[in-house]
Amino acid sequence: MIRVVTLDPFDDKQLAKFNRTLYTAFGVGSEHSGSAEVPAGMSEPLDAEKLLDEVKGIRAYKDDKVLLLTSRKLKDRDLPSGKAPTSGFARYGKDRAVLTIAPFKDLETGYKAIARHALHQLGTLWELHHCLDPRCSMYPPWTPSFNQGDHIFCTFCREKSEQKIRLAKS
Amino acid sequence: MPEGSAALQLQVGDRVVYPNQGVCRVAAIDVKEVAGQSLTFVTMRREEDGAVVMVPQGKIISIGVRKVASPADVEEIYAFLRSDSDKADLDWKQRARTNLDRMTQGGILGLAEVVKGLQVLSELRPLPTKERELYDNARHLLVSEVAAALGTAEANAEDSIDIVLFPPGKERPKRTAAEFARPGGDEDDMDLDGDLMGLEGGELDLPSDEEPPAEPEEESSEEGAEEEGGEEAAEDAPKKRGRPPKAKPDEGAEPAAPKKRGRPPKPKPEVVAAEGAEPAAPKKRGRPPKAKPPEGDTPAEPAAPKKRGRPPKAKPAEDE
Repeated sequence: MIRVVTLDPFDDKQLAKFNRTLYTAFGVGSEHSGSAEVPAGMSEPLDAEKLLDEVKGIRAYKDDKVLLLTSRKLKDRDLPSGKAPTSGFARYGKDRAVLTIAPFKDLETGYKAIARHALHQLGTLWELHHCLDPRCSMYPPWTPSFNQGDHIFCTFCREKSEQKIRLAKS
Repeated sequence: MPEGSAALQLQVGDRVVYPNQGVCRVAAIDVKEVAGQSLTFVTMRREEDGAVVMVPQGKIISIGVRKVASPADVEEIYAFLRSDSDKADLDWKQRARTNLDRMTQGGILGLAEVVKGLQVLSELRPLPTKERELYDNARHLLVSEVAAALGTAEANAEDSIDIVLFPPGKERPKRTAAEFARPGGDEDDMDLDGDLMGLEGGELDLPSDEEPPAEPEEESSEEGAEEEGGEEAAEDAPKKRGRPPKAKPDEGAEPAAPKKRGRPPKPKPEVVAAEGAEPAAPKKRGRPPKAKPPEGDTPAEPAAPKKRGRPPKAKPAEDE
Protein backbone atom coordinates (compact mmCIF):
# COMPACT_ATOMS: atom_id res chain seq x y z
CA MET A 1 0.00 0.00 0.00
CA ILE A 2 1.26 3.48 -0.85
CA ARG A 3 0.31 6.10 1.72
CA VAL A 4 0.60 9.73 0.70
CA VAL A 5 1.03 11.97 3.74
CA THR A 6 0.87 15.69 3.15
CA LEU A 7 3.01 18.16 5.05
CA ASP A 8 1.18 21.16 3.56
CA PRO A 9 -2.41 21.70 2.39
CA PHE A 10 -3.31 20.26 -1.04
CA ASP A 11 -6.50 20.06 -3.07
CA ASP A 12 -8.36 16.78 -2.48
CA LYS A 13 -9.27 16.25 -6.12
CA GLN A 14 -5.69 16.70 -7.21
CA LEU A 15 -4.55 14.30 -4.53
CA ALA A 16 -7.09 11.72 -5.71
CA LYS A 17 -5.76 12.04 -9.26
CA PHE A 18 -2.21 11.74 -7.94
CA ASN A 19 -3.13 8.53 -6.09
CA ARG A 20 -4.73 7.07 -9.20
CA THR A 21 -1.49 7.68 -11.09
CA LEU A 22 0.54 5.88 -8.43
CA TYR A 23 -1.92 3.00 -8.43
CA THR A 24 -1.62 2.68 -12.21
CA ALA A 25 2.17 2.74 -12.11
CA PHE A 26 2.73 0.17 -9.37
CA GLY A 27 -0.48 -1.84 -9.29
CA VAL A 28 -0.84 -1.45 -5.51
CA GLY A 29 -3.35 0.61 -3.64
CA SER A 30 -2.56 4.25 -3.00
CA GLU A 31 -4.40 6.62 -0.70
CA HIS A 32 -4.11 9.91 1.07
CA SER A 33 -3.43 8.97 4.70
CA GLY A 34 -3.75 12.32 6.33
CA SER A 35 -1.24 15.00 7.09
CA ALA A 36 1.74 15.47 9.38
CA GLU A 37 3.63 18.41 10.79
CA VAL A 38 7.11 19.44 9.77
CA PRO A 39 9.30 19.08 12.89
CA ALA A 40 9.81 22.26 14.81
CA GLY A 41 13.03 24.11 14.10
CA MET A 42 13.25 23.05 10.44
CA SER A 43 13.14 25.92 8.02
CA GLU A 44 12.92 26.14 4.26
CA PRO A 45 14.77 24.71 2.38
CA LEU A 46 14.16 21.50 4.29
CA ASP A 47 16.85 18.92 4.90
CA ALA A 48 15.30 15.83 3.30
CA GLU A 49 17.22 13.22 5.28
CA LYS A 50 16.59 14.92 8.58
CA LEU A 51 12.94 15.36 7.73
CA LEU A 52 12.50 11.64 7.04
CA ASP A 53 14.10 10.80 10.36
CA GLU A 54 12.27 13.31 12.50
CA VAL A 55 8.75 13.56 11.17
CA LYS A 56 6.25 12.09 13.64
CA GLY A 57 2.67 10.90 13.65
CA ILE A 58 2.68 8.64 10.61
CA ARG A 59 0.77 5.38 10.96
CA ALA A 60 1.60 2.63 8.50
CA TYR A 61 1.90 -1.13 8.32
CA LYS A 62 5.18 -2.92 7.80
CA ASP A 63 5.01 -3.32 4.01
CA ASP A 64 3.51 0.12 3.39
CA LYS A 65 5.46 2.77 1.55
CA VAL A 66 4.96 6.30 2.82
CA LEU A 67 5.40 9.31 0.53
CA LEU A 68 5.62 12.66 2.29
CA LEU A 69 4.42 15.45 0.03
CA THR A 70 5.36 19.04 0.60
CA SER A 71 5.23 22.30 -1.29
CA ARG A 72 8.36 23.64 0.43
CA LYS A 73 11.75 23.43 -1.19
CA LEU A 74 14.29 20.78 -0.25
CA LYS A 75 17.94 21.55 0.33
CA ASP A 76 20.47 20.27 -2.23
CA ARG A 77 22.65 17.54 -0.79
CA ASP A 78 26.40 17.86 -0.54
CA LEU A 79 27.91 14.61 -1.76
CA PRO A 80 31.57 13.61 -2.08
CA SER A 81 31.47 14.04 -5.84
CA GLY A 82 29.43 17.25 -5.94
CA LYS A 83 26.12 18.87 -5.09
CA ALA A 84 23.00 16.85 -5.88
CA PRO A 85 19.88 18.82 -6.86
CA THR A 86 17.14 17.43 -4.60
CA SER A 87 13.50 17.36 -5.53
CA GLY A 88 12.92 14.31 -3.39
CA PHE A 89 14.73 11.76 -1.31
CA ALA A 90 14.13 8.10 -0.49
CA ARG A 91 16.13 5.56 1.45
CA TYR A 92 16.94 2.58 -0.76
CA GLY A 93 14.73 -0.39 0.15
CA LYS A 94 13.19 1.35 3.17
CA ASP A 95 9.66 2.63 3.71
CA ARG A 96 9.73 6.43 3.60
CA ALA A 97 10.32 9.01 0.91
CA VAL A 98 9.83 12.74 0.67
CA LEU A 99 8.89 14.73 -2.42
CA THR A 100 8.50 18.43 -3.05
CA ILE A 101 6.30 19.95 -5.73
CA ALA A 102 8.53 23.03 -5.90
CA PRO A 103 9.03 25.00 -8.15
CA PHE A 104 5.37 24.38 -9.12
CA LYS A 105 2.58 26.09 -7.19
CA ASP A 106 0.25 23.12 -6.96
CA LEU A 107 -0.05 19.53 -8.12
CA GLU A 108 -2.01 20.40 -11.25
CA THR A 109 0.47 22.91 -12.64
CA GLY A 110 3.38 20.53 -12.99
CA TYR A 111 1.48 17.29 -12.75
CA LYS A 112 3.57 15.24 -15.21
CA ALA A 113 6.88 16.20 -13.70
CA ILE A 114 5.69 15.73 -10.11
CA ALA A 115 4.22 12.32 -10.89
CA ARG A 116 7.47 11.31 -12.54
CA HIS A 117 9.46 12.38 -9.49
CA ALA A 118 7.03 10.49 -7.26
CA LEU A 119 7.52 7.31 -9.29
CA HIS A 120 11.27 7.80 -8.99
CA GLN A 121 11.20 8.08 -5.21
CA LEU A 122 8.79 5.18 -4.75
CA GLY A 123 10.90 3.10 -7.15
CA THR A 124 13.89 3.72 -4.90
CA LEU A 125 11.86 2.41 -1.98
CA TRP A 126 11.26 -0.74 -4.02
CA GLU A 127 15.03 -1.12 -4.59
CA LEU A 128 15.23 0.18 -8.15
CA HIS A 129 18.48 1.80 -9.18
CA HIS A 130 18.87 4.64 -11.63
CA CYS A 131 18.12 3.63 -15.18
CA LEU A 132 19.88 4.25 -18.49
CA ASP A 133 16.70 4.87 -20.45
CA PRO A 134 15.84 8.60 -20.61
CA ARG A 135 12.12 7.76 -20.97
CA CYS A 136 12.07 5.81 -17.70
CA SER A 137 11.13 7.50 -14.45
CA MET A 138 14.21 5.97 -12.81
CA TYR A 139 16.51 8.07 -15.01
CA PRO A 140 18.58 10.48 -12.86
CA PRO A 141 16.12 13.25 -11.95
CA TRP A 142 18.51 16.20 -12.31
CA THR A 143 18.93 15.74 -16.06
CA PRO A 144 17.33 18.48 -18.20
CA SER A 145 14.98 16.11 -20.05
CA PHE A 146 13.62 14.43 -16.93
CA ASN A 147 10.69 16.78 -16.40
CA GLN A 148 9.54 16.48 -20.00
CA GLY A 149 9.04 12.71 -19.89
CA ASP A 150 5.94 10.70 -19.04
CA HIS A 151 5.40 9.06 -15.68
CA ILE A 152 6.23 5.53 -16.82
CA PHE A 153 8.88 2.88 -16.23
CA CYS A 154 10.96 1.09 -18.82
CA THR A 155 10.34 -2.65 -19.22
CA PHE A 156 13.27 -3.63 -17.03
CA CYS A 157 12.35 -1.34 -14.14
CA ARG A 158 8.65 -2.20 -14.35
CA GLU A 159 9.35 -5.93 -14.20
CA LYS A 160 11.80 -5.47 -11.34
CA SER A 161 9.37 -3.37 -9.33
CA GLU A 162 6.58 -5.90 -9.93
CA GLN A 163 8.89 -8.66 -8.73
CA LYS A 164 9.77 -6.73 -5.58
CA ILE A 165 6.12 -6.01 -4.87
CA ARG A 166 5.21 -9.66 -5.35
CA LEU A 167 7.99 -10.70 -2.95
CA ALA A 168 6.80 -8.16 -0.39
CA LYS A 169 3.22 -9.47 -0.64
CA SER A 170 4.30 -13.09 -0.17
CA MET B 1 45.02 -11.72 -7.53
CA PRO B 2 42.18 -9.49 -6.48
CA GLU B 3 43.09 -6.06 -5.28
CA GLY B 4 43.49 -5.60 -1.54
CA SER B 5 43.68 -9.28 -0.69
CA ALA B 6 47.45 -9.83 -0.53
CA ALA B 7 47.54 -10.16 3.24
CA LEU B 8 44.08 -10.43 4.71
CA GLN B 9 43.82 -10.63 8.47
CA LEU B 10 40.19 -10.88 9.37
CA GLN B 11 38.59 -10.32 12.75
CA VAL B 12 35.04 -10.68 13.92
CA GLY B 13 33.10 -7.51 13.04
CA ASP B 14 35.21 -6.62 10.00
CA ARG B 15 33.40 -5.54 6.88
CA VAL B 16 34.48 -7.41 3.78
CA VAL B 17 33.38 -7.64 0.17
CA TYR B 18 32.55 -11.07 -1.24
CA PRO B 19 32.80 -11.06 -5.06
CA ASN B 20 29.43 -10.99 -6.78
CA GLN B 21 27.63 -10.99 -3.40
CA GLY B 22 28.35 -7.61 -1.88
CA VAL B 23 29.31 -6.25 1.48
CA CYS B 24 29.40 -8.80 4.31
CA ARG B 25 30.31 -8.62 7.96
CA VAL B 26 32.50 -11.27 9.56
CA ALA B 27 30.24 -12.93 12.12
CA ALA B 28 32.55 -15.61 13.49
CA ILE B 29 35.88 -17.33 12.98
CA ASP B 30 35.85 -20.82 14.44
CA VAL B 31 37.37 -24.25 14.03
CA LYS B 32 35.16 -27.07 12.82
CA GLU B 33 35.83 -30.70 12.14
CA VAL B 34 34.89 -31.77 8.65
CA ALA B 35 35.57 -35.30 7.38
CA GLY B 36 38.12 -35.88 10.10
CA GLN B 37 39.99 -32.65 9.44
CA SER B 38 39.85 -29.61 11.63
CA LEU B 39 39.45 -26.49 9.51
CA THR B 40 39.13 -22.83 10.42
CA PHE B 41 35.99 -21.33 8.94
CA VAL B 42 35.17 -17.69 8.50
CA THR B 43 31.43 -17.07 8.80
CA MET B 44 30.20 -14.00 6.96
CA ARG B 45 26.76 -12.45 6.97
CA ARG B 46 25.64 -10.40 4.01
CA GLU B 47 24.52 -6.98 5.19
CA GLU B 48 21.83 -6.60 2.57
CA ASP B 49 19.67 -9.54 3.54
CA GLY B 50 21.50 -11.43 6.29
CA ALA B 51 22.46 -14.44 4.15
CA VAL B 52 25.24 -16.47 5.80
CA VAL B 53 28.24 -17.99 4.06
CA MET B 54 31.06 -20.04 5.63
CA VAL B 55 34.41 -20.14 3.89
CA PRO B 56 37.55 -22.07 4.93
CA GLN B 57 40.19 -19.55 5.91
CA GLY B 58 42.62 -20.97 3.39
CA LYS B 59 40.23 -20.19 0.54
CA ILE B 60 39.50 -16.60 1.49
CA ILE B 61 42.13 -15.06 -0.75
CA SER B 62 41.60 -17.36 -3.72
CA ILE B 63 37.87 -16.60 -3.69
CA GLY B 64 38.63 -12.89 -3.81
CA VAL B 65 37.25 -11.79 -0.47
CA ARG B 66 38.76 -8.43 0.46
CA LYS B 67 38.22 -5.59 2.86
CA VAL B 68 35.85 -2.77 1.97
CA ALA B 69 37.46 -0.02 -0.10
CA SER B 70 38.71 3.11 1.62
CA PRO B 71 37.43 6.65 0.92
CA ALA B 72 40.64 7.26 -1.04
CA ASP B 73 39.78 4.31 -3.29
CA VAL B 74 36.32 5.77 -3.82
CA GLU B 75 37.88 9.07 -4.90
CA GLU B 76 39.86 7.14 -7.49
CA ILE B 77 36.65 5.52 -8.67
CA TYR B 78 35.06 8.95 -9.13
CA ALA B 79 38.08 10.08 -11.12
CA PHE B 80 37.86 6.98 -13.28
CA LEU B 81 34.14 7.44 -13.89
CA ARG B 82 34.70 11.08 -14.75
CA SER B 83 37.33 10.26 -17.38
CA ASP B 84 36.32 9.57 -20.94
CA SER B 85 38.84 6.84 -21.53
CA ASP B 86 37.04 3.56 -21.14
CA LYS B 87 35.10 2.32 -24.15
CA ALA B 88 33.40 -1.04 -24.13
CA ASP B 89 34.39 -3.60 -26.72
CA LEU B 90 31.91 -3.73 -29.58
CA ASP B 91 32.47 -7.45 -29.94
CA TRP B 92 29.82 -8.83 -27.60
CA LYS B 93 31.68 -12.07 -26.88
CA GLN B 94 34.85 -10.27 -25.88
CA ARG B 95 32.84 -7.78 -23.85
CA ALA B 96 30.91 -10.48 -22.01
CA ARG B 97 34.11 -12.35 -21.17
CA THR B 98 35.84 -9.23 -19.90
CA ASN B 99 32.88 -8.15 -17.81
CA LEU B 100 32.46 -11.62 -16.32
CA ASP B 101 36.13 -11.64 -15.32
CA ARG B 102 35.78 -8.24 -13.69
CA MET B 103 32.72 -9.33 -11.74
CA THR B 104 34.34 -12.57 -10.60
CA GLN B 105 37.50 -10.86 -9.42
CA GLY B 106 35.36 -8.58 -7.30
CA GLY B 107 37.55 -5.46 -7.23
CA ILE B 108 35.81 -2.11 -6.87
CA LEU B 109 37.63 -0.79 -9.92
CA GLY B 110 36.37 -3.78 -11.91
CA LEU B 111 32.80 -2.96 -10.90
CA ALA B 112 33.29 0.65 -11.92
CA GLU B 113 34.71 -0.49 -15.26
CA VAL B 114 31.65 -2.64 -15.94
CA VAL B 115 29.28 0.19 -15.03
CA LYS B 116 31.16 2.79 -17.01
CA GLY B 117 31.67 0.56 -20.05
CA LEU B 118 28.03 -0.44 -20.31
CA GLN B 119 26.84 3.08 -19.60
CA VAL B 120 28.96 4.44 -22.45
CA LEU B 121 27.79 1.61 -24.70
CA SER B 122 24.17 2.50 -23.92
CA GLU B 123 24.85 5.91 -25.41
CA LEU B 124 25.44 4.14 -28.71
CA ARG B 125 22.54 1.68 -28.56
CA PRO B 126 20.17 0.22 -25.97
CA LEU B 127 21.64 -2.63 -23.95
CA PRO B 128 20.33 -6.16 -24.49
CA THR B 129 18.51 -7.75 -21.57
CA LYS B 130 21.42 -9.78 -20.24
CA GLU B 131 23.75 -6.83 -20.24
CA ARG B 132 21.08 -4.65 -18.67
CA GLU B 133 20.88 -7.17 -15.83
CA LEU B 134 24.65 -7.25 -15.57
CA TYR B 135 24.71 -3.46 -15.45
CA ASP B 136 22.14 -3.47 -12.68
CA ASN B 137 24.07 -6.07 -10.67
CA ALA B 138 27.36 -4.22 -11.06
CA ARG B 139 25.72 -0.93 -10.14
CA HIS B 140 24.12 -2.49 -7.06
CA LEU B 141 27.43 -3.91 -5.85
CA LEU B 142 29.26 -0.66 -6.56
CA VAL B 143 26.65 1.45 -4.79
CA SER B 144 26.60 -0.76 -1.70
CA GLU B 145 30.39 -0.73 -1.46
CA VAL B 146 30.64 3.03 -1.93
CA ALA B 147 27.97 3.47 0.73
CA ALA B 148 29.90 1.19 3.08
CA ALA B 149 33.19 2.93 2.35
CA LEU B 150 31.83 6.43 2.91
CA GLY B 151 29.44 5.47 5.70
CA THR B 152 26.51 7.09 3.94
CA ALA B 153 23.06 6.04 2.76
CA GLU B 154 22.87 4.00 -0.40
CA ALA B 155 20.70 6.61 -2.10
CA ASN B 156 23.42 9.20 -1.49
CA ALA B 157 26.10 6.82 -2.73
CA GLU B 158 24.18 6.19 -5.92
CA ASP B 159 23.58 9.89 -6.48
CA SER B 160 27.26 10.62 -5.92
CA ILE B 161 28.15 8.09 -8.61
CA ASP B 162 25.52 9.38 -11.00
CA ILE B 163 26.48 13.00 -10.56
CA VAL B 164 29.75 11.95 -12.16
CA LEU B 165 28.19 9.77 -14.84
CA PHE B 166 25.26 12.11 -15.60
CA PRO B 167 26.48 15.62 -14.74
CA PRO B 168 23.60 17.97 -13.76
CA GLY B 169 22.38 20.23 -16.53
CA LYS B 170 23.88 18.10 -19.29
CA GLU B 171 22.27 15.55 -21.55
CA ARG B 172 24.13 12.38 -22.34
CA PRO B 173 26.07 12.56 -25.57
CA LYS B 174 25.13 10.45 -28.57
CA ARG B 175 27.95 8.08 -29.47
CA THR B 176 28.91 6.72 -32.85
CA ALA B 177 30.41 3.34 -33.65
CA ALA B 178 33.57 5.10 -34.84
CA GLU B 179 34.31 6.21 -31.28
CA PHE B 180 34.48 2.60 -30.18
CA ALA B 181 36.92 1.54 -32.90
CA ARG B 182 40.20 0.34 -31.45
CA PRO B 183 43.31 1.64 -33.20
CA GLY B 184 45.44 -1.20 -34.55
CA GLY B 185 42.88 -3.78 -33.57
CA ASP B 186 41.41 -6.52 -35.68
CA GLU B 187 38.61 -5.93 -38.09
CA ASP B 188 35.53 -4.93 -36.25
CA ASP B 189 32.76 -7.26 -37.21
CA MET B 190 30.16 -5.00 -35.63
CA ASP B 191 31.07 -1.98 -37.72
CA LEU B 192 27.98 -1.65 -39.80
CA ASP B 193 29.41 1.11 -41.94
CA GLY B 194 32.04 -1.19 -43.33
CA ASP B 195 31.85 -3.80 -46.02
CA LEU B 196 30.12 -6.63 -44.17
CA MET B 197 30.33 -9.43 -46.70
CA GLY B 198 32.76 -8.02 -49.17
CA LEU B 199 29.89 -6.89 -51.34
CA GLU B 200 31.34 -3.49 -52.03
CA GLY B 201 34.65 -4.72 -53.34
CA GLY B 202 35.09 -6.20 -56.77
CA GLU B 203 35.45 -9.71 -55.45
CA LEU B 204 32.09 -11.02 -56.52
CA ASP B 205 32.39 -9.74 -60.08
CA LEU B 206 28.72 -9.62 -60.75
CA PRO B 207 27.94 -9.54 -64.47
CA SER B 208 27.48 -6.03 -65.64
CA ASP B 209 25.47 -4.75 -68.54
CA GLU B 210 28.50 -3.18 -70.08
CA GLU B 211 30.81 -5.27 -72.16
CA PRO B 212 34.18 -6.02 -70.63
CA PRO B 213 37.17 -4.15 -72.09
CA ALA B 214 38.88 -5.92 -74.99
CA GLU B 215 42.24 -7.23 -73.74
CA PRO B 216 42.31 -10.80 -74.95
CA GLU B 217 46.06 -11.25 -75.35
CA GLU B 218 47.07 -9.69 -72.10
CA GLU B 219 44.49 -11.65 -70.26
CA SER B 220 45.56 -14.93 -71.75
CA SER B 221 49.22 -14.20 -71.08
CA GLU B 222 48.43 -13.28 -67.53
CA GLU B 223 46.46 -16.43 -67.08
CA GLY B 224 49.32 -18.46 -68.47
CA ALA B 225 51.74 -16.77 -66.15
CA GLU B 226 49.47 -17.43 -63.25
CA GLU B 227 49.25 -21.06 -64.19
CA GLU B 228 53.00 -21.39 -64.46
CA GLY B 229 54.04 -19.59 -61.37
CA GLY B 230 50.79 -19.78 -59.54
CA GLU B 231 52.14 -21.28 -56.38
CA GLU B 232 55.07 -18.88 -56.19
CA ALA B 233 52.81 -15.94 -56.79
CA ALA B 234 50.46 -17.19 -54.15
CA GLU B 235 53.29 -17.38 -51.65
CA ASP B 236 54.61 -13.95 -52.48
CA ALA B 237 51.30 -12.14 -52.58
CA PRO B 238 49.66 -11.21 -49.31
CA LYS B 239 46.85 -13.56 -48.47
CA LYS B 240 43.43 -12.16 -49.10
CA ARG B 241 40.63 -12.96 -46.76
CA GLY B 242 37.30 -14.24 -47.87
CA ARG B 243 36.13 -15.92 -51.01
CA PRO B 244 38.63 -16.04 -53.88
CA PRO B 245 37.66 -13.97 -56.91
CA LYS B 246 35.93 -15.79 -59.73
CA ALA B 247 37.62 -16.22 -63.03
CA LYS B 248 36.54 -13.60 -65.50
CA PRO B 249 34.62 -14.89 -68.53
CA ASP B 250 36.30 -14.81 -71.91
CA GLU B 251 35.52 -12.01 -74.25
CA GLY B 252 32.77 -12.75 -76.65
CA ALA B 253 31.24 -15.34 -74.46
CA GLU B 254 27.80 -14.55 -73.18
CA PRO B 255 27.80 -13.23 -69.69
CA ALA B 256 26.89 -15.97 -67.30
CA ALA B 257 23.40 -15.77 -65.92
CA PRO B 258 23.32 -14.68 -62.30
CA LYS B 259 23.49 -17.68 -60.00
CA LYS B 260 20.17 -18.56 -58.48
CA ARG B 261 20.09 -19.29 -54.82
CA GLY B 262 18.32 -22.17 -53.14
CA ARG B 263 17.80 -25.81 -54.11
CA PRO B 264 18.64 -26.60 -57.74
CA PRO B 265 15.66 -27.71 -59.87
CA LYS B 266 15.11 -31.46 -60.35
CA PRO B 267 16.52 -32.85 -63.59
CA LYS B 268 13.83 -33.38 -66.19
CA PRO B 269 13.32 -36.99 -67.36
CA GLU B 270 14.88 -37.70 -70.70
CA VAL B 271 12.43 -37.65 -73.55
CA VAL B 272 12.35 -41.17 -74.98
CA ALA B 273 9.19 -41.02 -76.99
CA ALA B 274 9.03 -39.59 -80.40
CA GLU B 275 8.23 -36.00 -80.95
CA GLY B 276 4.69 -36.74 -82.10
CA ALA B 277 3.80 -38.76 -79.03
CA GLU B 278 1.47 -37.24 -76.49
CA PRO B 279 3.10 -35.91 -73.43
CA ALA B 280 2.77 -38.14 -70.38
CA ALA B 281 -0.19 -37.28 -68.18
CA PRO B 282 0.80 -35.76 -64.90
CA LYS B 283 0.98 -38.29 -62.08
CA LYS B 284 -2.08 -38.23 -59.88
CA ARG B 285 -1.58 -38.50 -56.19
CA GLY B 286 -3.49 -40.76 -53.85
CA ARG B 287 -5.03 -44.26 -54.24
CA PRO B 288 -5.29 -45.50 -57.83
CA PRO B 289 -8.89 -45.88 -59.11
CA LYS B 290 -10.44 -49.38 -59.20
CA ALA B 291 -10.33 -51.19 -62.48
CA LYS B 292 -13.61 -50.81 -64.42
CA PRO B 293 -15.31 -53.95 -65.76
CA PRO B 294 -15.05 -54.46 -69.51
CA GLU B 295 -17.76 -52.59 -71.43
CA GLY B 296 -18.77 -55.46 -73.74
CA ASP B 297 -20.03 -57.74 -70.95
CA THR B 298 -23.50 -57.42 -69.44
CA PRO B 299 -23.37 -55.32 -66.43
CA ALA B 300 -23.21 -57.54 -63.36
CA GLU B 301 -25.71 -56.94 -60.57
CA PRO B 302 -24.22 -54.81 -57.95
CA ALA B 303 -23.12 -56.85 -54.98
CA ALA B 304 -25.38 -56.55 -51.97
CA PRO B 305 -23.84 -54.40 -49.28
CA LYS B 306 -22.12 -56.42 -46.61
CA LYS B 307 -24.15 -56.67 -43.46
CA ARG B 308 -22.36 -56.17 -40.26
CA GLY B 309 -22.79 -58.24 -37.12
CA ARG B 310 -23.52 -61.90 -36.52
CA PRO B 311 -24.77 -63.85 -39.55
CA PRO B 312 -28.45 -65.00 -39.24
CA LYS B 313 -29.09 -68.51 -37.99
CA ALA B 314 -29.74 -71.12 -40.58
CA LYS B 315 -33.52 -71.87 -40.84
CA PRO B 316 -34.58 -75.47 -40.13
CA ALA B 317 -35.65 -77.52 -43.11
CA GLU B 318 -39.42 -77.22 -43.89
CA ASP B 319 -39.78 -80.87 -44.95
CA GLU B 320 -39.95 -82.12 -41.39
